[in-house]
Amino acid sequence: MTDATATTTERTLPAYVVPHRPIRQALTGSVASIAFTFIAVIVVGLFWVGPKFISAGNVSIIGTFLIVPLIVGAFSGFALLAGVVDLSIGSIVGLSSAIFAFLIADGWPVAGAATVTLSICLVIGGLNALAIVRFGADPIAATLGMLTALRGITWVLCGNQRMIPAFDIDYFTLINSQVLGLPLFFLFAIGLTLLATLVVTKTRLGRHVQAVGGDDRAAGRAGIPVAWVRTFALLLSAFGAGIGGLIYVGQLGSAAGATGFGLEFQVYAALMIGGYSILRGGVGNPIGGALGLLAVAGVSNILDLKAISPYYVNIIVGLLLLAAVLLDRIRGGDAYE
Amino acid sequence: MSLNQAIETAPPAVPLKVRFGGWGTALILIAVWLLLIAATGLYRPDFFAHQTMLAIAFTMAVVGVLAVGQGIIAISGGFIDLSQPAGLILTSLVAVRLSEAGLPLPLVVVGAVVAGMLWGAFNATIIVFARLNPVIVTLATNFIGLAALYLIFQLAQVPNGSEIYHLGRASFLGLPAIWWPMVVIILVVGFLMRSTRYGRRATAVGGNRAAAKARGISLRTTRYATFMAAGGFVGFAAVLFASAAGPFNPSSASTLQLNVIAAVILGGISLAGGRGNFWMLLLSVGFLSTIPTALVFFGLSSDTQSIFQGALLMIAVAIDGYRARRGAP
Repeated sequence: MTDATATTTERTLPAYVVPHRPIRQALTGSVASIAFTFIAVIVVGLFWVGPKFISAGNVSIIGTFLIVPLIVGAFSGFALLAGVVDLSIGSIVGLSSAIFAFLIADGWPVAGAATVTLSICLVIGGLNALAIVRFGADPIAATLGMLTALRGITWVLCGNQRMIPAFDIDYFTLINSQVLGLPLFFLFAIGLTLLATLVVTKTRLGRHVQAVGGDDRAAGRAGIPVAWVRTFALLLSAFGAGIGGLIYVGQLGSAAGATGFGLEFQVYAALMIGGYSILRGGVGNPIGGALGLLAVAGVSNILDLKAISPYYVNIIVGLLLLAAVLLDRIRGGDAYE
Repeated sequence: MSLNQAIETAPPAVPLKVRFGGWGTALILIAVWLLLIAATGLYRPDFFAHQTMLAIAFTMAVVGVLAVGQGIIAISGGFIDLSQPAGLILTSLVAVRLSEAGLPLPLVVVGAVVAGMLWGAFNATIIVFARLNPVIVTLATNFIGLAALYLIFQLAQVPNGSEIYHLGRASFLGLPAIWWPMVVIILVVGFLMRSTRYGRRATAVGGNRAAAKARGISLRTTRYATFMAAGGFVGFAAVLFASAAGPFNPSSASTLQLNVIAAVILGGISLAGGRGNFWMLLLSVGFLSTIPTALVFFGLSSDTQSIFQGALLMIAVAIDGYRARRGAP
């Protein structure tokens, strides 16, 4: 009797209830395909380059270059999730490093300079949000405009020398310090990625961001403040790019007009390979994005060690990108006609 | 996001007053353009020298023809073609190699245009058969294309004294010879898009692809046609570019991209598809091409150019988005 009721309730389950299958989800979800890609890259590296590919020395070289992309990616992933791609991150990184270096060279203390710089980045994020959320501008085109304008300001700030030297010994030591043979901030960036993953998957805020990106009208009807969530995501994205700029100044001891140039394509190509989408929100998560960055960095490291032209990296990244969006569509993304 | 396919929304009924909205944009563009010219001319009377006009006309020529290609993609619902830089350099290389082989100018033009159409067909094939969004496909093919071009060549230039070399330095009625084809192309395409079946079909697909499909318009054919046509214009722009640009490398065209997109949006061709007037490109391209030269006359460094262009683009898209949200045509 009880069995019979159980089967009837099962049968009458509405079609939109998605069965919870964690194992199947883990093997076919967006993180799974990038995890397999990542493992494949490591295996290829081990066979082709040898064990030194995963030695602490080599990993810390890869890690040093990845600090800024990882941090910027973890934050701008929120904007992608909310369905508002922010192409201006590369230029915000450049402007942030230029302002920060300018203030340090002017004799400001590091903490004060960082606060002012990050505040300016938040204002830029606010301007992006004003155009996109308030006026309904197309995010790609609007932030493309912001990208150009900020790069211009950065060039003007850097002046005729094309760079601003800003060397603060304590800050330089902090940013470049090593823990357990790996760069301290690489570990920090990975910790930040894990934290961002927790926020996305386990908190109300994260679910709101996903819901807004997935279907903004439905989210609005469910009482989620769509405009505020998108504004918040754009502010976070600009803030993360600002931090990236601060770290570049610590790593290089200066800011240049070209700092962060093209970073947005590097980061977004990797994030899309890692399961995000720049055209629809609500998909992807920070761990996938970080694995995407690691996989691309692994490929370019292998080609470096094998002394192969770096242009092949771009070809491989482009093909991976197409494969990733194709996978995303097969997994249920929008088909385009 | 407005880049998503808007299938549900029906086009709103157009009140008579709003129908003049298109001409309003034209008047504003003309006013701002004249204001810019007048302000620069008052500040520095030598702005009106013939040399200035030549510089502006050169910039206009390449950007204008590229904008026609970009406009065809946008109005037919293909959003943006981000692979134009790779396409332009590829076809410029074809033009250079053909003229190095000593072919006459018409054959060089045909070669570049055909190469551009093949590039467009390549993009369209991926888009149509993988059913992927053109923005990402062209982003990826631009990435791949530029990297592959770097593997082929580092620096190229049309041979001195060849026909194409002379084309870039010739002038007609006081303006550079390469300026005139741009004007003709914009005028002709603008006419074709509104007054022929093919143009109307492309616009219909961009406006509402579900309705267009229901009326029996093949979306695949439209996609192939628009991308190949746009590629052909990229090939023609490449002839103008190669003839006047001097030595170029694979990243020489990357700065043009933004100008082209800004010109399309400022000209009122919506990125969401389905509406726009190609004749307006004459104004928006002219205005955008005047800015760099005018800024130099104001004594501002060329770095400030991108500040103005970026801010303008943002304002233009914000207005575009606001209009789309209000439901005006």
